[in-house]
Amino acid sequence: MTTTTTATTTAKSLVLRELHKNYVARGRESFHAVKGIDLDIRPGELVALLGPSGCGKTTTLRMIAGLETVTSGDIRIGDRSIADLPPGRRDIGVGFESYALYPPLNVRENLAYGLKARGAKDADARVRAMAERLEMTELLDLRPAALSSGQKQRVALARALIRNPPVLLLDEPLSHLDAAQRQRVRRELKVLQREFGYTTIVITHDQLEALSLADRLAVMDAGVIQQFGTADEIFDDPANLFVADFVGEPKINLLEGVVDEDGTVRVGRDGRLRSSARSTRPGQSVTVGLRPQDSHLAAEGEPSVPAEVVVFEDLLEFGLGTVRVEGLDSSIVVQTPADVRWRRGDVVRLAAPPQRVYLFDPEGGARVR
Amino acid sequence: MAKEMKPGQKRVTAGSVVADVMILAWFVFSLFPLLWMLLLALKNDADQTSTYFAFSPTFENFVTVLSQRGQDLTSVNFGQAMLTSVINCVGAVLVSLVVGVPAAYAAGRWKYRGSEDLMFQMLSFRFAPELMVIVPLFVIYNTLGIFDTKVGMVWVLQLVTMPLVVWILRSYFQDLSPELEQAALLDGYTRIRAFLTVALPLVRPGIAASALLAFIFAWNNYVFPLILTDSAATTVTVAVTKYLGGGGQAYYNLTAAAALLGALPPLVLALTIQRYLVRGLSFGAVKA
Repeated sequence: MTTTTTATTTAKSLVLRELHKNYVARGRESFHAVKGIDLDIRPGELVALLGPSGCGKTTTLRMIAGLETVTSGDIRIGDRSIADLPPGRRDIGVGFESYALYPPLNVRENLAYGLKARGAKDADARVRAMAERLEMTELLDLRPAALSSGQKQRVALARALIRNPPVLLLDEPLSHLDAAQRQRVRRELKVLQREFGYTTIVITHDQLEALSLADRLAVMDAGVIQQFGTADEIFDDPANLFVADFVGEPKINLLEGVVDEDGTVRVGRDGRLRSSARSTRPGQSVTVGLRPQDSHLAAEGEPSVPAEVVVFEDLLEFGLGTVRVEGLDSSIVVQTPADVRWRRGDVVRLAAPPQRVYLFDPEGGARVR
Repeated sequence: MAKEMKPGQKRVTAGSVVADVMILAWFVFSLFPLLWMLLLALKNDADQTSTYFAFSPTFENFVTVLSQRGQDLTSVNFGQAMLTSVINCVGAVLVSLVVGVPAAYAAGRWKYRGSEDLMFQMLSFRFAPELMVIVPLFVIYNTLGIFDTKVGMVWVLQLVTMPLVVWILRSYFQDLSPELEQAALLDGYTRIRAFLTVALPLVRPGIAASALLAFIFAWNNYVFPLILTDSAATTVTVAVTKYLGGGGQAYYNLTAAAALLGALPPLVLALTIQRYLVRGLSFGAVKA
C-alpha cells in the first residue's frame, strides 16, 4: 500500500473579507444576497453556517466554491486569494445537498471521475484507499440508484475528499437522512474531519446539527453574519434578537417589557425581572428574552413574574410548562426539572438569573447590554 | 369508512366501466380511418369507390405505385420522392439537434433578460397557419434560388422541428440537477466538457424522443413541399396526393397504397426506438 494515497492534507485557514454578492438584473431591482461577510476560519476548524432559508448561506458557499461570481471582496485559502480562480483550480471539496452522484457510473467510477480530470495515475489505488477509510469497499461496484441515502451521503463525502483538498464545504449534509442515520453520520463526519484535518464549512438550517458538529457557529440572516462564536457564546450571550430567537430549543420566550425606576424590567401587570443590562434608562421599552431553561421559582423577595399554569407537558427528562401572565399577550414556556409536576391552574412565581435575562431594542432587535 | 384497497387491485365500478367503454369507442374512432385506408389500398380500380368490406384483395396497387406506370400517372418517381423525404427530414432533424441541443441546454440552465421571450419567439413561426407564411416564403425562395432544392426543404422543415427539439429538451435539462455539472467543474472539467460528458449522456432518451417526433413532423409536412418544390425535391406527401388526379381520374386505391408506403419509415423508426420513446416522453424520468 502506498503511503501518499491517504496522506493527510496540511490544514489551511479560510478567510472571507468583505464578501458581497449582488444579483443585478437590468430593469429589475437588484438583490443584495450577501452583504459584506467577514469570516476567519482557523486551519482544521469546522464552522457551521447556520441560518434560515434565504439568508445567503448557500450563496456564500457557492462563492467560496467558485460556482457563483464574487461581486466584491476576497476569499483566501492560506495566503492564496482564490476569488478569481475557476472552481476546478480552487482546490476545494464540495459535498452537495443532492449528493450529485453521476447515475450511469458506479461508485468506483464516480470517485475516480474527479481524479481522472487531473490525469492522476494512481486513481485506482486512491479510490480503494478512500473506500477503505470510509468503510465502503462493498459499495464500490454499485450504481448510485442502488444506494440508501446514508450510503449516498458517504459516497458524496468520499468524492469530495478524494482529491485531498485543504478546504471542505458541505451543503446541508444531513438533510436527506432519517433521524437515526443523522446521528450516526454526524458522529462519523466529526471523527473524519478531525482525523483528516480539513478546514470545513457546513451549511445548515438545523441548529442541532450545527451545535453538534461545529467548533464555531456563524449565525446568518439577511445576508449578514449576525454572530460568530462557539455554541456556548451564542447560546449564553446572543448578539441580537435574531440570534436569540433562532438558536435554542425550546424557543426563547420574547416578552414586552418596560424598564422601571429601580432598573428592573416590568413584565405584564405585576411581573418584574432583574437583568444584568447596564445601559438601560427608566421608561425604556424593551423586548425581554427569557429562555425556557433559565427560569426558576422565585425565592422570597426576589423580583419575579406571577403566572398561572395553562398546560404542563411531562417529557420524562424534563417538563414543559406553558404559563399565562396577567397583562401579557403571549404565554411563557418554562422548562422544569424532571421531578417537578405542575397542574393546570397552579400559580407560580418565576424568576431568572439577571445575566440570563436578555434585553433587546424592540426596534431592530439590537442587544441592550 | 372507505374500503381498503390492495395495491394493484382494480375495483369495478359503474364509472370504470363507462371509462373503459369510452376508451374503446375512442380507439375504434381513431383507428377506423387507418383500417379503411388499408382496405382501400387492397382494392382494384373497379372496387375503389365501393363501401363493401367484401372484395377480392390485390397487392397490385403497391406494385403500381413503385413502377413506371405510377410514374406515368403522376409524373413523379415514388421511390425518388421517398428518398428525398428521407434526406429532407434527416437533414432537418440533424440541423435541429446540432443547434437545438446546445440551445435547449442554455435555455434550461440560464435565465437572462428576454430568455423567455426568446423561447416563445421560437414558436412564433408556428402561430400562423402554414398557408399564411407560404406566400412570402415562396417569393424568398425564388429570389434566393433555393426553390425546389433539398437545401431549401431542410431549411423550412427545420423551422418546424427546431422549436420542438428545443422545448422538449429544455425541460430535460431543467430536470437534471445542475449540481452534477458543478461537481464536474470542481473536479477540474471545463464547462464544455461538463456539458458533453455529464449532462448530454443523461438526456439521451429525450434526444431520441424529440428527434423522432421532429422526424415525424417533418415527414408529414405537406404544404411546404407542395408550394416550395416542383419536381427535384418533391416529397412523399406531395407524391401521394398526385394520385388524386388534378383534373384527371382520381385513383383512391393508389393514393391509399402510396400513403401506406409513405407511413412505413416513421413507423419503423418509432418501433426501433420505442424503448427510448416511452421513457423519453414521460418527462423527468432521468432523475437519479
